[in-house]
This record gives sequence, structure tokens and C-alpha cells, in this order.
Amino acid sequence: MLRASLRGLLSRKLRLTLAVVAIVLGTGFLSGAFVLTDTLGARFSKLFESINQNVAVQITPTDESTEDGEPPRLTQQQVERLRVDGAAAVQGDVSAEGVVPFDMRDGDPVTTSGTPQIGGGVTGDDPFSLVGVAEGRWPTRAGEVAISRFTAEQAHAAVGDRLKIYLPRVNEAREFSLVGVVTYSGDRDSLAGETLVLFQEAEAQQIFYGRTGVYSGAFVAADEGVSPEQLRDRVAPLLPAEFEAMTGEEANEEQANAVNEGLSQLSTYFFGPFAIVAVLVGIFLIFNTFNIVVAQRARELALMRAMGASWTQVAGSVLVEAVLVGVVGATLGLLAGIGLGYAGSALLTGLLGVDLPGAGLTVGVLPVVLAYTVGILVTVFSAFVPAVKASSVPPLAAMREVARPDKPLRTLSIVGAALAVPGVALVGLGLTGVGDLTLPALLLGVGMVFLGVALLSPLLTRPLAGLIGRLVGWGTSGKLGVRNALRNPRRTAVTAAALMIGVTLVSAASVVGASFKTTIDQEVNSSIGADVIVQTNQTQAAPTGETGFSAAAMQEVREVSGVERALSLFVTVDAEIEGRANQSLGFGALDQDFPVVRDMFGMTPVEGDLSALGEGEFVTDENTADGRGWEVGDQVAIALSKGGERQYRLVGTFESTPILTGTVFLPPSAVQNFAGPLASQGYVDLAEGADAAAVTARVEQIMSDFPLVTVGDRSSLVEQFNSFVDIALAIVVVLLGLAILVALLGILNTLLLSIYERTRELGMLRAVGLSRFGVMRMVGTESVVMAVFGCLLGIAVGVGLGAALSAALIDIDFLSTISVPWLSLAGFVLLAALAGVAAALWPAWRAARLNVLDAIAYE
Amino acid sequence: MDATGVAARAADLWKVYGSGEAQVVALRGVNVELERGHFTAIMGPSGSGKSTLMHCLAGLDSVTRGQVYIGDTQVTGLGDRGLTKLRRDKVGFVFQQFNLLPTLTAAENILLPLSIAGRKPDQQWYDTVIDTVNLRDRLGHRPTQLSGGQQQRVACARALVARPEVVFADEPTGNLDSRSGAEVLSFLARSVREYGQTIVMVTHDPNAASHADRVIFLADGQIVDEMRDPTAEAVLDRLKGLDTPAAAVPPVGSER
Ligand SMILES: Nc1ncnc2c1ncn2[C@@H]1O[C@H](COP(=O)(O)OP(=O)(O)OP(=O)(O)O)[C@@H](O)[C@H]1O
Ligand SMILES: [Mg+2]
Repeated sequence: MLRASLRGLLSRKLRLTLAVVAIVLGTGFLSGAFVLTDTLGARFSKLFESINQNVAVQITPTDESTEDGEPPRLTQQQVERLRVDGAAAVQGDVSAEGVVPFDMRDGDPVTTSGTPQIGGGVTGDDPFSLVGVAEGRWPTRAGEVAISRFTAEQAHAAVGDRLKIYLPRVNEAREFSLVGVVTYSGDRDSLAGETLVLFQEAEAQQIFYGRTGVYSGAFVAADEGVSPEQLRDRVAPLLPAEFEAMTGEEANEEQANAVNEGLSQLSTYFFGPFAIVAVLVGIFLIFNTFNIVVAQRARELALMRAMGASWTQVAGSVLVEAVLVGVVGATLGLLAGIGLGYAGSALLTGLLGVDLPGAGLTVGVLPVVLAYTVGILVTVFSAFVPAVKASSVPPLAAMREVARPDKPLRTLSIVGAALAVPGVALVGLGLTGVGDLTLPALLLGVGMVFLGVALLSPLLTRPLAGLIGRLVGWGTSGKLGVRNALRNPRRTAVTAAALMIGVTLVSAASVVGASFKTTIDQEVNSSIGADVIVQTNQTQAAPTGETGFSAAAMQEVREVSGVERALSLFVTVDAEIEGRANQSLGFGALDQDFPVVRDMFGMTPVEGDLSALGEGEFVTDENTADGRGWEVGDQVAIALSKGGERQYRLVGTFESTPILTGTVFLPPSAVQNFAGPLASQGYVDLAEGADAAAVTARVEQIMSDFPLVTVGDRSSLVEQFNSFVDIALAIVVVLLGLAILVALLGILNTLLLSIYERTRELGMLRAVGLSRFGVMRMVGTESVVMAVFGCLLGIAVGVGLGAALSAALIDIDFLSTISVPWLSLAGFVLLAALAGVAAALWPAWRAARLNVLDAIAYE
Repeated sequence: MDATGVAARAADLWKVYGSGEAQVVALRGVNVELERGHFTAIMGPSGSGKSTLMHCLAGLDSVTRGQVYIGDTQVTGLGDRGLTKLRRDKVGFVFQQFNLLPTLTAAENILLPLSIAGRKPDQQWYDTVIDTVNLRDRLGHRPTQLSGGQQQRVACARALVARPEVVFADEPTGNLDSRSGAEVLSFLARSVREYGQTIVMVTHDPNAASHADRVIFLADGQIVDEMRDPTAEAVLDRLKGLDTPAAAVPPVGSER
């Protein structure tokens, strides 16, 4: 029996190839994600190792902030005390992030794609220094800097230039003389695409820490024969309470762990959806493939039955094929995943401009195990129904040409309706809100609707696909193609369902995205009363007041003629509420009286008093108050980055809107307790008749010293919001591409089978005068009908789903309108039609090339 | 209509399958003329090359040597495009089975060649054909709802409705019982007698052959004899005389 199924396998290579491709895609993305994470992780570890090369023990603060918000410092003497027996060298650490040089050419700040912008202090004889002077010299007095070669390239700066540099903590840009360019060992321009600016040590201390003679940490090197652990234990007792000592290795591990966490998130959110979609679509494809294989083998299987094979043997022979397909697919998928991981790591490092050491591959056990488990399970699962079907082939089928009639669709349709109808009800229930059960209800409902529609789709084939056929089936060959598509509703439906999955996802995402965009556009234009808007692009982390523009800059803006009033919004998310870390709220403080704020943001009061916001008071939007159970008059304990916990009293609430949601407004004085003193947004109102362009230009000039800060009008604010949506949608569109690709294979598969089954018909059609091109058109039309059918089903379910989600979001005032992007959806249909044509190319070519005689003499 | 003209002609026709050891010479120098308006039957033992001859005449198969003409068109040497046009305009086919598209109704099947060629049917002729095959009440049915004989009659109607130069039929009654077979045959004969159609039919059945005006006997790839106005007995006698052991094979269903 095994030998028989193996031989059968080989003879159906082509068809099974498609099933294998489905598995390869799914497992490829899955294992690729892990290989990429592991590989990048290993390369980052190597990077940290090279940074901490000579460091035996590293001294760092235990907790970043103290009571007054300032991180603890080590004094000169405290550092000197570390020169214990066995310490070869000791060096205090003077460094900070957010030191941003400006481009000499265009005057814009030099930014990186996520890698830090580092500043440091040097004495010139630093034993731990990773860099050496390549050009010029070390900075030796105040006003001098050296920069890494990478930085020099980015800033287009050369030794002798006057380089403008933005300094954190003092929050302003100053000019320095560039006296040197440095490189890392091995003549590397940068370690990982970071920028590096080195100051003379005392000046760096003054800038970064506000006083000279202090350090943020220290490094200790060990004498020959002294282990890092020994040295750590000797140094530890000498440290002040706020500091701890760890070995260089421990430090590496800590840093590497943080990076790995980020990386695995990247692959979870980026590759995860791809793998899931590929696997889901793959299930349909494999199911269809095995159905087809079983249909083709019906005679052979019947013969086996007639010769006495039991039904378990017959079903088993199909499942053995499935396992083999799974193994082959998983193996190839693993290889593809390794390739993907390799390409991904090269691409990512290239894209981020990160120059990581090492270029090898790291393949763990997990991706291997996962690829095989998923590959085999998915194939066997998908082949199960076809296998059972195979076992029910009557032995009689061997003797005669049994055209086994399609089973009636009734059972299938009843089950489909039984799923879809309660599914819709559940979604409806979820939308009206059922507390904690809302999300599960929605998800379950959506899943049921999806499955229900998938099961009902054979029933829909005749009416819906028939309608499509009327539109695309031109001429005799077109009409014949449409008839062929309608001939086997189940097969057409399963083929279309594969496409439906992807289109559903994308349509739903498009609807939510479009609703979001429309909402933002409406809200910004109707509620925000400012003409010029200053924003900070929070590229890296959530705002804490450490990036943005200074109060002094806004003061300057106020003095520009034509400015009626201007408002700075300071934002932080770093807070604890009633002792619990803040998850979702944004804390704002403003430098103006609250009525001004109220007007500028178009707030509608709900309860309490919004006319003034005094010390120890706060206001919030209605939903936030309701969600947290806060009543006007309640005291809430809030601890910001600095200054410890304070009681604030809720004095008023305003209506939630999509842009005023999850917000808490604190009095202006609260800014002192933010991690940094910078405002992240500015809203400027113009006086009657002021020249908007001139004012904007002036504001731009004032803000030009602050990295990440941009100036624009309301539409630029809208654009910024939209850019997030666009990124999300772009990923979704790539997903669509993948889903379409896999679905295309499914269509290809079905077409090949149809052609195989209809060889005689094709020959007959040719004999009565159908041209080759006519045959191709016939096959193409069948394909387009299936593709468009699947696409339309997907759009129907997806738009419903998207509208439902949007409605749920409207409920929590996150959105205000539902907007359906008809144009994009029409684009999907067009794309599906084109995909249908593409899928048909090869089968159509094969069909057209069929020898008329072979076709007639067939069997 | 010129009853003495030639509808199809083969000159020194050779057909060789395969090469080397596996070489089979299916036709060796066949010369034949098929008169217009005549009903010609081709007979011979299994493997004698009947189907091959017919396929070559109809332009369904390429020839190794020699020429084939349908009307004044030289079939040999036509490309796919030319052959497609030939099939649309000049020839009709009736096969042993699987003649019809299951997705189309009987009427649609009958009109298929015309609709493929983008031609309008001649309504009067269409009606005549339908009445001749006696299918008017079955026109809306699909092939699966028709009996084998009815299906073959639909196939015959389809072959005739475009008024081709020649209709080729390869064992059109091979799969039918004798009554249905007789129906189909009488219809074919009528279309020759009454409407001047030219028909070439391959058959194993002497009774079927007796409907023809002329029988051509093939053996081992060559024409060995022919008979005008045949009777079933005469044909049977002649077949027995053919010097091939395969002649003993039962007459029906020897197609692979
Ligand atoms: N495609 C082919 N390849 C090789 N040989 C072939 C092919 N088709 C036919 N033949 C051979 O050519 C010869 C003539 O075949 P043909 O089909 O014309 O016989 P036939 O007279 O129609 O027989 P039957 O009465 O069984 O239908 C036979 O020997 C056959 O084996
Ligand atoms: Mg034959």
C-alpha cells in the first residue's frame, strides 16, 4: 500500500507541487521570522561584545531617576576609589543620547533610523576608548569636538568646519569647531549606524550633567589573572547605594536581551501575519489539491477497493501522501525561511544603515521544529476530508465511468447559515458592547461569519459568479468559460475562498483605515483652531518631554508679528496612576490659561468647570473619566517622571473625540515633573490679515534648531496622523499580495484539473473549429470568474467586518465616521481580475496546445 | 450542387507512427477520391488504418507523405490557423462518443460550431435538420438528460447544421444498440439523399455500411477493394475474405 501511494505521488508531481508551494510559503515565513531574529540577535550580541571588549566590570546606576528626577552621579573621588587591587584601569563614563549634529549643507538636523545619537566626553587617553583619531586630533578645550567618520559623512562636515550641534538638557543648538574625525577599530565608520560627537570631558560634563567632575558610571579593566567576577566583588562594596557593578559579560547580556525583545516583536508583528495568512490560504489550497487528486484517482482507488483494500488503507494512502507533501514542503520552507532570514538581516541592516559585525546565519532548533510541525499538521489536517472521501469511493467506480454527481449543497448550506447567522448576531452584540466580552464576541462572530460565508459560497456560485460571468464572458469562448466555472460550484467556491481570506483582511483594514483618515481630517479641521502647527516627530519612543522645542522658542514665536496667540503642549506618557504604571493615557500640560486651550481644541464641556485649571487640578475627557470611574471632585494620585506622587483633583470633563481621547490635562506647573522640559506640540493662531506664509516661515526658522520638530498647517497635522495609517495599510497590501499569490496557485491548480478532466471536450471544441486563442480565452474567463468571485466575497465580508470594527471604534469615540474606500475596493476587483488572467496563462497555454487527436482518443 | 465533383481526396498518402523498432506504418500510399453528395463507408479489420485515414482526410492529423484536399483546399501544409478555419467552414465531425459539451443544451450544442465561427444559423436549414433528427422536443435538454442515441443524433445535427463540405463520422453507432444505431444511420443517409450532404463514415458493422453508396475496404494501411451500392451480406462476405486474422475480432468497440 505504501509503495502504491509513493508511486502515485510521483505521478502526480505537478499537482502536488502546488500544495508543496503553499506549505513552503507558510513555513518559510514562520521559520524565516525566527532565523532573522536569531541572526540579528547574534549579530547585535557581537556588537555589544566588541563595545565592551576591555570592560571587566561596568558600574551603572541601579534606578535611572532619584527623587528630584536627576539620575545619580559618581564623583571624581568615587571613581578614583575603584582603583582596587587587580584593576588595570578605571575610567568614568561621560555620555548622553540625543546629541544631534546639523548638516553643514542644508542646515537640517542629522537623524538616524532608530540608532542612538551619542555624545561623549574624552580626555584623550581613555583606555576603553573604542575609537581612535583618524584625522585631526582629540578635542582638548571647550568649544571643540571630534565626530565619527559616519557622522562626518552624514553632516557633510570636515575638520576645520564650524559644526552646529543640538545639545540635550540645555536644549539648544550651539556651534563647535570640528577638530577631529574618529573611527572604530578596523577602520569602521560606525558600530551600527549611530552618530557620535565627542567633547572635551569637562565641557561634556557641564553640558550633560550641569556640573563638572561627575560621571554617570564607570568602567574597570582587570589585571592579568584577575577574573571579572573577582573584580566585581571587590569593587561592589565601594560603590554608593544608587550604583551597582556587573561584569562586562552580564552587561552584554542585558543589552542583547533588550535588543532581542525588540527584534522578536518585529518578527511577531511583521512576519507573524504573513505566516498566518499563508497557512490559512494554504489550507484551502491543499484541501483543493487533495480533493482533485482523489477525484483523479477515483478509478485507481476503486480498483484497490475492488481488490480488497479496506477503507482505512485507502484513506491511509492519501494521508501518507499528505505527510510526504508536508515533509517536502516543510524542508523547502525551512530552506526558504533560512534564505529569507539571511536576506532580511541583510536588507534590514542595509535599510537602517546599521553596520553590524558578522554576517553569518544563526538557525536555532525552534524554527526547524516549528516548520516541520506546522507543515505536516497543516497538510494532514487539510487532506483529512479528501482522504475520507477517497475511502468512500465505491469499488464499482473501477468498472465504469461513474460520473459521481455532486452531493447536494443543502447540508453544507445549512451548516454555513448556522454559522453565519449567529455570527452576525454575535458581531452585532459585540458592537453594542458587552463589557469584557466585547472583543471575544466580535472575534468569534467574525470568525463564524467568515466560515459561514465560505461554506455558503458554493450556493452563491451560481447566482453571483453567473452575474460576474455575464460581465466578463464575451463571445462564445467567454460564455463557455463561464459555464465551466459554474459547472462545479464546490470546486469554484473552494478556489475562490482562498482568495477571499486575503481580500477580507485587506478590505476590512482599508475600511478602518479610510474611516480613520476621514475622521482625522474632519476632526482636525472642525475642532482645531490653530493656523500654524508645530509638531515633534516621535520616531523612537513615546513622548516624555525630552524631545521637542523649548519654552523660550515658543516665547520667540509669540513675539513674531502677525501671531495672535500661541500655545505649547507638553506631553508625557511616563507616569504612575494610583501606583500603577500608565498604559494608555497621554498627560498634557499647557503654557496658557485653560479657556484658551479649550477654544483652541474646540472642547465641549460635559461636567464640572473648564474655565480654569489651578494647582493640583486636572481635567480629562468623558470616556477616560467613565472608564476609570473618576467623578468630578475625585482625588487621583499621579506620579510623573520626577517629584514623586501628588494628589490631583478632577475638576471637569469634556466630550471625547477621536483626537481628544485618553487625555489628562494637568496645570502648567506639572511640566517641572516631566522627564524633560520640552514641548512636543505648538499651536499658533494668526491675527486677522496676517501673512500666513511669512509667519510660518519665521516660526520654521525659530524651530529649525530643534531636531525632529516640524512646522506646518492643519493639513500637515492630518498628514502626520495619516502616515501611520498609510504604513499600516502598506503592510496590509503586501499581505494582500501574498494572499493573492497563494490564491493564484489555487486557481492554477483548479484550472489544470479542469483541463485534465475536460481533455475530450477541448479536443471536440477544437475539432468543431475553436481556435487556440479561443481555448485560451475560455480558460482565462473561467479563471477571471473564479478570481473576481472570491474577491467580491472577500470584499463583502471585509467591508462588513471593517464597518463593524469602525462602529465599535466610534462607540469609544476613537472614530467619528465610517468611510468605505470604494475606489480602492474597485482596485482590488481589478487586481483580482488581472490575477485571474495571470493564473490562467499557463493552463490556457497547455489547453491550447492539446493535440486535437489525443483529446479525442483520450482513454 | 455538383454530384460528380470530389469533396475530399487523398493522393499517395502515407502515415508512419513512431520510428525505429517501434515504427508502425498505418497508411501506405493510399489514393482515394470521395465524391460529393455521396455516403462513403470505410471498413476493414481493426488496426487497418481506418481512423488514421479519416483523421488525415479531415486535417486532424498530420501526414507523413502525400496530399490531402478538401474541396479545392489543400489540407496538408495548413497551419493551425488554416486548420481551424477549415474545421469551421468545411468539415463536420461525429465521434463514437463524448460528442457534446455537458454544460450546453442540445440546441446550444447543435449551434456551437456556428457560434464559434461567429456565423448566424440559416433558420430554415436549422429547422429542417432538427426535424430530420426528430429532436424538437429535446432541444432544451442537457446531454446527461439524453439517451445515447439521442446524443448521437444531436452530434449529427451539429455536424450538419453548418453545411460543411464533408462530414466525417468515426464509428458513430459503435456505442449504440441496433435500434438507436439504425435511427442515426437513416438520418445520415437521408441527409445525403435529400440534402446532398457528403458523408464519410468508418464502421465495423456491415448493416451500417449497407446504408452507404460505396464501401472502401482497407487492410494493412492500403485500400484493397471497394464496393458500390453494398448490401450487408455482400459486405460481410467481402470482410471474411480479407486476409487478416484481426477480421475475426468482434465488430464493435475495438477503439482503445
Ligand atoms: N498515435 C499512434 N501512435 C502509434 N501508432 C498508432 C497511433 N494511432 C494509431 N496507431 C497504429 O496505426 C495503425 C492504424 O490504427 P487505426 O486507429 O487507424 O486503426 P483502425 O482501423 O481505426 O482500428 P479500429 O478498428 O480498432 O479502430 C494501428 O496499427 C495502430 O496501432
Ligand atoms: Mg478506429
